[in-house]
Amino acid sequence: MPSAILTVEDVNKTYDGFRAISDLHFYLFEGELRTVIGPNGAGKSTFFDLISGRAKPDTGKIEFGSDPLTTIDLTARNEYQINRLGIGRKFQTPSVYTEHTVWDNLVLSLKGPRGVFASLFHRLDSTDRDRLDELLKLIRLDTKRDWLAGLLAHGEKQWLEIGMLLAQQPKLLLVDEPAAGMTDEETHRTGELLLSLAGKHSLIVIEHDMTFVRQIAQNGKVTVLHQGTVLCEGKFDEVQSNPKVREVYLGRGKPTK
Amino acid sequence: MSRLAAFLAARRNPRAISRGELIAVGILAILVVLVLPFANQQGWISNFAINLWGKYLCYALLAISVDLLWGYTGLLSLGQALFFSLGGYMIGMHLMRMIGDLGQYRQPIPDFLVFLGWTELPTFWKPFSSFPFALAMVLVLPGLLSWVFGYLAFRSRIKGVYFSILTQALTYGAALMFFRNDLLMGGNNGFTDFKFILGFDIREPVTQRGLFVVTAVTLLVVYLLCRWLNGTKFGLVQQAVRDGENRALFSGYATAHFKLFIFIVSALIAAIGGALYVPQVGIINPSEMTPDKSLEAVVWVAVGGRGTLLGPVIGAVGVNALKSWATRAIPDLWILLMGGLFILVVLFLPGGIVSIPGIVRGWFKKKSPASSAPAPAPAAPAPAKT
Amino acid sequence: MGVFAHAQRRAAGAVPERGHQPPPIGFSPPPRRVGPILALSEAPTVSNTARTVLRLSLSVALLILALTSGLARAADSARATIAEATLADSPAKQRDLISSLAGQADEAIPALLEAWRKDSLFLYAAPEGVAVPVQLVGEKDAAEAQAALRIADGQPLLDAAGAPLRLVGADLTAVEHTSALRRAMKAVLDLRDLGSPDLEKRLRAIQVVGFAQDVEKLPILQQRLATETEPRARTTLREAIALIGLKAPTDAEKLAALAELKTLHTLASADLVKAALRDAETTRHPALLEAARGALRAIESHRSTVNFLGTLFRGASLGSILLIVALGLAITFGLMGVINMAHGEMIAVGAYTTYVVQNIFGNGLALSPFGKFTINLPGLGATGWAYQSYFLVALPLSFLAAAAVGVALERGVIRFLYRRPLESLLATWGVSLVLQQLFRFIFGANNVQVSSPAFLSGNWTINDIIFGWNRVFVIGFAGLIVLGVWLVLTRTSLGLLIRAVMQNRAMASCMGVRTSRVNMLTFGLGSGLAGLAGAFLSQIGNVGPSLGQNYIVDCFMTVVVGGVGNIAGTVLSATGIGFADQSLQQILGNPVLGKILVLVAIILFLQWRPAGLFVTRSRSLD
Repeated sequence: MPSAILTVEDVNKTYDGFRAISDLHFYLFEGELRTVIGPNGAGKSTFFDLISGRAKPDTGKIEFGSDPLTTIDLTARNEYQINRLGIGRKFQTPSVYTEHTVWDNLVLSLKGPRGVFASLFHRLDSTDRDRLDELLKLIRLDTKRDWLAGLLAHGEKQWLEIGMLLAQQPKLLLVDEPAAGMTDEETHRTGELLLSLAGKHSLIVIEHDMTFVRQIAQNGKVTVLHQGTVLCEGKFDEVQSNPKVREVYLGRGKPTK
Repeated sequence: MSRLAAFLAARRNPRAISRGELIAVGILAILVVLVLPFANQQGWISNFAINLWGKYLCYALLAISVDLLWGYTGLLSLGQALFFSLGGYMIGMHLMRMIGDLGQYRQPIPDFLVFLGWTELPTFWKPFSSFPFALAMVLVLPGLLSWVFGYLAFRSRIKGVYFSILTQALTYGAALMFFRNDLLMGGNNGFTDFKFILGFDIREPVTQRGLFVVTAVTLLVVYLLCRWLNGTKFGLVQQAVRDGENRALFSGYATAHFKLFIFIVSALIAAIGGALYVPQVGIINPSEMTPDKSLEAVVWVAVGGRGTLLGPVIGAVGVNALKSWATRAIPDLWILLMGGLFILVVLFLPGGIVSIPGIVRGWFKKKSPASSAPAPAPAAPAPAKT
Repeated sequence: MGVFAHAQRRAAGAVPERGHQPPPIGFSPPPRRVGPILALSEAPTVSNTARTVLRLSLSVALLILALTSGLARAADSARATIAEATLADSPAKQRDLISSLAGQADEAIPALLEAWRKDSLFLYAAPEGVAVPVQLVGEKDAAEAQAALRIADGQPLLDAAGAPLRLVGADLTAVEHTSALRRAMKAVLDLRDLGSPDLEKRLRAIQVVGFAQDVEKLPILQQRLATETEPRARTTLREAIALIGLKAPTDAEKLAALAELKTLHTLASADLVKAALRDAETTRHPALLEAARGALRAIESHRSTVNFLGTLFRGASLGSILLIVALGLAITFGLMGVINMAHGEMIAVGAYTTYVVQNIFGNGLALSPFGKFTINLPGLGATGWAYQSYFLVALPLSFLAAAAVGVALERGVIRFLYRRPLESLLATWGVSLVLQQLFRFIFGANNVQVSSPAFLSGNWTINDIIFGWNRVFVIGFAGLIVLGVWLVLTRTSLGLLIRAVMQNRAMASCMGVRTSRVNMLTFGLGSGLAGLAGAFLSQIGNVGPSLGQNYIVDCFMTVVVGGVGNIAGTVLSATGIGFADQSLQQILGNPVLGKILVLVAIILFLQWRPAGLFVTRSRSLD
């Protein structure tokens, strides 16, 4: 059994009196692909905010790293520091640099030094360029590399953002609703891509589309969040048949047959 | 190398210099650095005109500093006039020392200090007798101020209009301070009546011509420097900060560091502009560092075209040439003209003057029905979201 | 630019005051400007105690007698007494008669005594052979003759035919006056108002006597203290008696006086107590020294209390001014997100509206914009209370005028720029330049005069702290406006629409709200509030084309510190900045330095609490 790359324990987060996350425990193992589902307002995006440094937990610990001796406390770091540790995030609404070309979007995301002075004297070498070309093909934007990203369709922006995430070669990927705005065929391809990443990378995927969840959770576990805490965890079929989950999704007090 | 050139051409990178701009800059550079001074020396252009143009070029430096922040990084700073004036004040202190005892009171210290009852030079004035020291201070003081202020502002993630308002307040506060006599910087009247610079009589046409050439060359160097900066990955990040700062942050870029760096660079450019401005205009006083002056510089950039490097230069020279003419020809209506021009540009020409060729070309293209394939990226960058 | 000269002027005093306002703290006693008569003679000094004592025995007793008897024979005409005095044969008798006038409040006394001193009382030898004392008044005619009034009854002197006589001064003998007589006259004049039924006059007279420290007057003051019932007059009398006591011949009396001053600890007595302290230092009298120090300590501690409370009050009033000017901005900037650099000009619109309304109530107004054509606004020529009430008419009109300009601005410029806040900043700056220039065209480049109605120009003095009515009014006014805005935003359907549109323009639009209309009305409301602020500012400062520029930076800082989109935050930050500004001014003794420090403090505050800036949270990335 590999050790946990991400450890979340006893985490609480309150926004203006609203408990977005309460007593959350979550463990992700190296190379795992975990799917997180939950009704609206279950705290899924807040969960990602806490890991990626966009928000700080009120209490609790969030640690990154599989070796217990060198784990890193994420709560003490800010967004860019966390990213540099190898945690990449794809946002719910696609966020790309609209005034940059597709190519430049990828160049900006390419793994490498991120400092001010490094960027002044940065040069793309041929390996970098080959890698970017490869990525462009993978996200099927190789014909649109010189387009301004703002001109892309919604689904293409999603792909671009996934490409930007991959360019960073992160250890842990936080993927928030990747399939939104994609056709069925694209969604399926996204699922295959994510499955192919598992093993080399660790992934947490938030998703609403149950067909998609069924696809990507075929080998891994599904975590159901509800009211900021873990409702249940397990194989997709187990979760689907869990009465508590059905209650949460279909409405309280309505026993289902 | 040829591969890179071919690659660049194929990408039609909006950040790559267009041939049109290259030619325009080349012609302007030759005109300003060589032709104008030569014509002045031959007496074809009056000393007054060359002096006036020197002033415009200093304003162009100020405009570039505004544009680096506003056009390229999305930070509308209303504090650039402050850095411009600080640069001017630093060189002004040296020029005041160079008056020697030729002032009205025939004292070895500047007149206003005599007037305030000083008999000896205040300590902080002493090193300014040295030109290299004053030159260093032109960079050090605005650099330090922009560093401290920028550090505080960007650390607490102040951006957008809040940044504008804070820089406005900074300028306002500094101006209030410089208006005071006990700062020992000349108070209301500032510094004037300069006599010599580096041993030359500052009012001699030859000196003024020299200053003009120095200004022109500085502007060209700054332009090329910004052009280079814009082509680096730093330029990419800078514009990424403008369009999606949070995305950049989650891509591992410490955006505050990038903003601080460009803020300091801009302050330095503005300060250099101010340092060149003062010996040519012959006066510096606190009214140069009011928020209104900063806003005026923003107008030049908006009129010329922000997010480009040629735009601010065109805007600064154009608006100021118009101003020189209008303040003499229609003094009462001039402010109405400027205010009105400004409103119209913001409303109807957000890309500024430099966007006009593109717009005109767009009209012609529309008339020809041929273009069917989806157009690649537009040649000129779309106006930035602010 | 003229703009900045103005800003400087403003910086010189955070709240511009017009004309000669009383100094902010403490009351300035009038003793040192008591008119020409008093200035003629010096108060006696301790060194000539002997002479003083001598004179005491002579005249003071007489004065007391005269005062009491003067009151008794109040029925006797003062004029008759003066007429009698002019005819009296000995200077001593003249003195006695004049002294007998002391304490009488007859208006004729000062006029006649003044005329006497200026040699315009004459003895006219009537045909019947008696001398008639007369006063020559009015213009001299070609023959140098003037009208003559009988002193005894103030009626014109008639000749045998019953026609008024005109006399030439040079032909008559002027009534003589010796220096002793002049002293007696002065004493009468000094003491005349001690018995005045007008409290203010009485208080002033008591102070004059007290600060002159004339030991001779002591018994008279004590006399009055015995009969005086008004508490303020009693306090003032005690103060005056104690002040005179500082010059008393015996140490015991001086000690008693210092003890009394310590209990009273009035600010006005500080200078004289300091003088007494210096005296005690030179004479090295330990008990006196101790007592003087004690009295001074009491006064100083009182002064610092007064200063503190005065600072609080002025902080509150400055905060209220900031609040009034910033509240409109809190709506246009805070709620709508529009950076309206022309907000200051909306304030000026309100101020100029007040100016126009005032002139329409008064004598009308002729404006000649662009130098070519003239607009004549007829005046109503109202006076008194009708005129004073112009301000109540000006308030709503200022609101409407500024709101109208605001709506025009919104329709013409701002509505195209809702998605580009930084550009709205630039365009509105252009508008601000244009408006300022228009003000110059219409009203001239100089400041115009707006006079305050009487009900705003007085003050209350409570325990040495001056509460200017305009400042009290501004505090109350700010409270009312905040309440009004709060009611509009929370209790009306317009408020509901405003809040809906400001939170999510697109969503509100989808829900069928006419967002463009709501934007227009909201901007109009914000601008109208600026106009109201202008109407008030016209009462406490200059009205000029760049009026608005003085406040724009402060306005934005107030809203930013308060937290954008948060009216309560604006209220809090305006008050806070007001207090900070006034306290720093008090501590540093320098308004400009105080202002700079406030700006620095605000920048540091935002370090500590940038959340003041980001009160709204959203789940999307940007």
